[in-house]
Amino acid sequence: MTHSVKGAALPRRTVLKQALAGAGLASAAGLGWWQPAEAAGSFDWKKYQGTSIEVSLTKNTRGDLLQKYQKEFEELTGIKVGAEQVPEQQHRQKVAIEFTSGAPSFDVVTASWHVQKRLYGKGKWFEDLRPFLADATLTAPDYDFADFAKGAVDYATQPDGRMDTLPLNLDYWIIYWNKELFQAKGLAFPKNFDELISAAQTLNDPKKGISGWVSRGMKNANVPVWTSFLLGHGVDPIDAAGKLQTDTPEAIAAAEIYKRLNREFAPPGVVGFNWNECQTSFVQGKAAMWLDGIGFALPLEDPTRSRIVGKVGYGVMPAGPKAQHSALFGDGIGIAATSKNKQAAWLYCQWATSKVMQSRNLLGGYGSPGRQSAFTTALTSPDLKAPKEWVEAMSGSIKIARPGLPEIFAVTEFRDTFGVALTNLIGGADPATELKKATEAFKPVLEKTEKA
Amino acid sequence: MDVMAVPTPRTTQRRRPAPAVPGVGHRLRRLAGKLGFAASVVVIVSPAILVLLWMVSLSLKTEIDNIAYPPVFIPNPPTLANFTEVFRNSPLPHFAINSLIVSGSATLIALLVGVPAGYGIAKAKASKLSVLVLIARITPGLSYLIPLFTLFQFFHMTGTLLPLVITHLVITVPVVTWIMIGFFETMSPELEEAALIDGCTLWQAFYYVAVPLARPGIVVGFILAFIFSWNDFIFGAVLSGRETRTLPVAIYNVLTFEQVAWGPLAAAALLVTLPVLVLTVFIQREIVTGLAAGGVKGG
Amino acid sequence: MSARTAELGPSPHAGASVAPSSGRPGGRGYGRQARYYGFVAPALLLMLSVIVFPWLFTLWMSVQDWQIGQRHSFVGLANFAKILTDERFRDAVVHTVYFTVLAVALPVVFGTAAAVVFNEKFPLRGFLRGIFIMPMMATPVAVALVWTMMFHPQLGVLNYLLSLVGIPPQLWVYDQSTVIPSLVLVEVWHWTPLVMLIVLGGLAALPAEPYESARIDGASAWQMFRYITLPLVLPFIMVAVIIRTIDALKAFDTIFVITQGGPGTASETINLFLYQQAFSFFNIGYASAVVVVFFAIIVALSLVLLVVWQKTRWT
Repeated sequence: MTHSVKGAALPRRTVLKQALAGAGLASAAGLGWWQPAEAAGSFDWKKYQGTSIEVSLTKNTRGDLLQKYQKEFEELTGIKVGAEQVPEQQHRQKVAIEFTSGAPSFDVVTASWHVQKRLYGKGKWFEDLRPFLADATLTAPDYDFADFAKGAVDYATQPDGRMDTLPLNLDYWIIYWNKELFQAKGLAFPKNFDELISAAQTLNDPKKGISGWVSRGMKNANVPVWTSFLLGHGVDPIDAAGKLQTDTPEAIAAAEIYKRLNREFAPPGVVGFNWNECQTSFVQGKAAMWLDGIGFALPLEDPTRSRIVGKVGYGVMPAGPKAQHSALFGDGIGIAATSKNKQAAWLYCQWATSKVMQSRNLLGGYGSPGRQSAFTTALTSPDLKAPKEWVEAMSGSIKIARPGLPEIFAVTEFRDTFGVALTNLIGGADPATELKKATEAFKPVLEKTEKA
Repeated sequence: MDVMAVPTPRTTQRRRPAPAVPGVGHRLRRLAGKLGFAASVVVIVSPAILVLLWMVSLSLKTEIDNIAYPPVFIPNPPTLANFTEVFRNSPLPHFAINSLIVSGSATLIALLVGVPAGYGIAKAKASKLSVLVLIARITPGLSYLIPLFTLFQFFHMTGTLLPLVITHLVITVPVVTWIMIGFFETMSPELEEAALIDGCTLWQAFYYVAVPLARPGIVVGFILAFIFSWNDFIFGAVLSGRETRTLPVAIYNVLTFEQVAWGPLAAAALLVTLPVLVLTVFIQREIVTGLAAGGVKGG
Repeated sequence: MSARTAELGPSPHAGASVAPSSGRPGGRGYGRQARYYGFVAPALLLMLSVIVFPWLFTLWMSVQDWQIGQRHSFVGLANFAKILTDERFRDAVVHTVYFTVLAVALPVVFGTAAAVVFNEKFPLRGFLRGIFIMPMMATPVAVALVWTMMFHPQLGVLNYLLSLVGIPPQLWVYDQSTVIPSLVLVEVWHWTPLVMLIVLGGLAALPAEPYESARIDGASAWQMFRYITLPLVLPFIMVAVIIRTIDALKAFDTIFVITQGGPGTASETINLFLYQQAFSFFNIGYASAVVVVFFAIIVALSLVLLVVWQKTRWT
């Protein structure tokens, strides 16, 4: 079983296997995942031994995870990996500029579906991965693609049917809440938007420096907060026919909620807050609720960073008047179409999205994998670093997940235009007026970029 | 404005060979003047010190102390964890070498072409030409990026330090040229002219006579050009790759998603700026006299 | 940025001294000067080879409708027409002017004052002067990150310091109305030393005689500063103004790291707007047109200031 594993990796892997076995997955999950070639037919991890590939990752905990275990991949395949992590915003720019120049410096690259999907889809920047998946000589027999949740696969697939990235990580928006503050006021976690607002109101205590609520106010970053409330009104920012729904009564109602929460119950200066300022307020115990992506469990439960360790509640986004949805975002990993080492690159993508790596993603509290098996594993695993409640909030969110940003070409301009409108709301502007203005400003951009 | 009251001590000092037996009142006034002057010095220097001390403090505290309020000023106990974290996460020495190579080469090339250019412009009184060099500085840096990136890609130069060296010339050459114009303009021409009469060529006169005289200016030009190149962020952010990152870019990359990390950030910031700052304190005299030298002679 | 310092620095007094030297042997006016052009050629060629291609490329892109990932097409001057009607751009111009005026005026005033102080002899002067000029040498990105932490409205050290003297907490860069002055604060911190160095160069060159006679006439310290020092160092101060203006117009690192143009668009200067269009929206064509306009603005303003400088120099 362990003959393909060397050195220090052994104990960790053994534990992991026990975890998998404990979950009753021993047979189904295929523990012979790293079996040598003869056992797996014509597939051979070592086939591209000696090749070097360049990997460009977004800087986040998933990037850390891939780099942390990179040695395992190199030992398994004999492929040499040069990997770098670049902060999200820079990474998006770099990727776009490098692809445009026609000779990107990387073979494997991660991409945010919610921002870049249409951009790279249209430019055919990534290789279509379906032929690789279908090729038994290139794909490990136990890769088990069917294990990926359908939602994740759909999100990864382009409108023309090409699947140019594999699901690496999904991000569900949840509400982090401070149990201590809630208990002090005798409150329970809100079940709907109205309860949420009144809870924020009750918990808000500016004299003590406690805010009932915190969420992103910074332009661009703040749009998912608003769309989270918009989805609860049963409306997507752009409907299936491609029409903007951003000045509908539902959109205005969602914006009213955004305005009320951030204007009345949020810390001073929230208009300039991105996730990090929100997190700082929250870990200081100065904010009772925080709506943001699911990836923050680690710092909240880290005693060297957080004053509220063990007091954090992880709540699924409450129901809106018409629906209950958790805003969904996601990252994929794919191969540059210009790469000269596509097969080796494919092995890396496969490894990065394998059962083992995806389980580690969840177990370590790094993020939320697209594979279903990872969840079954995690809840029973002694290795689970993050609180169980966090995993539960995640599985609760998966059932009600819905993309939080429209799948359009000009996502960044969308976020920018509506982000400015939302910022103005915190300053006291009227939601209907601001949204109308933003919608009118964005409409020509949408028409132009979508028809081209 | 009280700022303007500052020159007072000048008169006090110039009057030093004053009455041999000053009265008590006079002494008091002089003391008050000195105290006021000392106070103004403190006021002037404190912003620089305070920000830097705060940076040091942040880098030596745990994360929980860094986001405490009221702020914790003195690290207790101080920790080096932030520094080890920075070194663990990114090969800073490697990036420091990149920065050294890029800024060093760009500055040396700038001296090579900039010193003669400053000389030529000063001698020919061709201030119009100087505007041409200046234009490289006026052009918004962002506008170089896309064209140059495309160009470098075309010549397969990306992934090396060469594109960075080339773009950094835009920073260093104008700096050196301008400083040297000032120097040569105010330098007395007699020695070179004597050399010319003795049969030296123009270049010989330049190399053997003018350059040695201009050494202080060359030092200042070198230092300033080097520092401004060292500090550049935007060229590095776009043009550097995994292996070719410069230090400021590496520092910015310490910013992580999902974890607030003020301590490591401050530690990283300190590591980049510290060498330059220490250097500054040591060579401040050269900078000041170097910049002023031309003016003194010209006056 | 800063380094045109010395360049323009020493020259204010140089104007007069160079003129008479043209009667020397071997020289006949123009031809004698022209032989020095060979010294300038390498630098000129090098600079041109680095900047000409980007310029041409930018000009070409500015007449294209081109977004990264899409095909580009020639649109004539449409991008420039769009600039005229773009409210965001107009706001950016206003922010740029606001930022520039403050980021030029304040460092010039403080830097001049500091130069007067450092022109005196006092114990530890060299060391303190070294400390004082450190900010100018500090890496802007690194320092901006530290300022961001100091500005935090709830946990920042600045608000704590204010609270010690009884001033209520400020929102600094976290509010539309205070963001630009707060960013200017960083800029002042960073670049006052540069102004100080330039003016110090001027002060060092001052002749002693006017002061002697003024003192005999019983002039006060302020009068001497106002009527002797200030007029004499004015050319140097103007040099500082020119340099600061160009640098403030082009300010990028600090604003980018601290606010990215926010909150909302409250600190979006032309340079940030440009960055946004080029690298966030990937509107390369439009961004290039903005570059052309921006460049024209900087050149025009520099020329105006240069003319003013010439005037201060010869009066």
